[in-house]
Amino acid sequence: MELPHPYLPGAISLLDQLDKRLIVVLRDGRKLVGCLRSIDQFANLILDEVVERTFFDKYYSDIRQGFLLIRGENVVLAGEIDETVDTGLTKISVEEMNRMEEERNERQRKIEQRKTAISAKGKLKEADMDDAY
Amino acid sequence: MVLPLSLLRTAQNHPMLVELKNGETYNGHLQSCDSWMNIHLRDVIFTSKDGDRFFKMAEVYIRGSTVKYLRIPDQVVDLVKQEVAEVRRQQKDAQKQRKQMSRGGGRGGGPGRGAPRGGGGGPPRGGGRGGGH
Amino acid sequence: MAPPEKDDGGRKKKESIVDLSRFIDKKVRVKFQGGREAMGVLKGYDALLNLVLDNAVEYLRESTDSEKIGEETRSLGLIVGRGTAITIIAPADGVEQIANPFANPDE
Repeated sequence: MELPHPYLPGAISLLDQLDKRLIVVLRDGRKLVGCLRSIDQFANLILDEVVERTFFDKYYSDIRQGFLLIRGENVVLAGEIDETVDTGLTKISVEEMNRMEEERNERQRKIEQRKTAISAKGKLKEADMDDAY
Repeated sequence: MVLPLSLLRTAQNHPMLVELKNGETYNGHLQSCDSWMNIHLRDVIFTSKDGDRFFKMAEVYIRGSTVKYLRIPDQVVDLVKQEVAEVRRQQKDAQKQRKQMSRGGGRGGGPGRGAPRGGGGGPPRGGGRGGGH
Repeated sequence: MAPPEKDDGGRKKKESIVDLSRFIDKKVRVKFQGGREAMGVLKGYDALLNLVLDNAVEYLRESTDSEKIGEETRSLGLIVGRGTAITIIAPADGVEQIANPFANPDE
């Protein structure tokens, strides 16, 4: 890959991505996709038409966020994405995503319950280890 | 392009959502802000981290360094864009007028003439707010 | 270090965007980095937002969930809140818990 000329080091290297669609990963793990409108020396970002993208297995869903000003220090990664490329992931509705996440949480709750039940008995019994494992 | 902190300044007196690094959110009208992103909100609704408790508060001061991001409603973004365009137009006009005045002053030759700016002539500047881009 | 201030002669100093003098002798709620919360009567402050709070109480974390802060308090007396550690300052007057005002799902 060739570097743009002149190459601007540091946060302002993102100036080349102005008005492009970026994925931004925040320190809390959230992934945002939006159009980069502005940036400053702290890597504070202005993103337009933002969606928060959540992933589950081979699926993803988008939640509309609108217009965001992100404080730079919370940004882990910001990179241009080409949404025309096939990622092999299927887009699903937010409701569907919520349902799948709820199911996963329910499964985990059951596992936790079983674990505490087992530790309460003081020993592992073969019969407790059913198909969840 | 409007720098992120300039946009924030222009969004004064408008509603917005502030999410802190710890996940708490504050919905309110931006009363004022500074170059550290410190924020003063009025008529605030505070939402706890897990989104299960809500409080009304008259006003809140938020330290800029604890901000994760700010969400600005689309209507406010449109308004701010208009305001920025308006300020730019006024600045251009003022510049033009200054040029004309200095040309006139040059021929007149009287010392001190045309030196002080903004006293006469210039179009009304937009209330000071949002200037200086 | 203090924020860069303008010369204290002619032009005005870089001041806090919030006028804390309005809160003097009033109850204020303060949150700190790390999650502690306190409430007390504001007796003084400085440009760095160090606060002096009288009759201060700290709100304790709930025993069931150490992330959450409950109604239980412990008394701290007269304290100085370090400005650099403060994240939130709000007058305690007019704070009330309400039902979810965003209940209308608009997706």
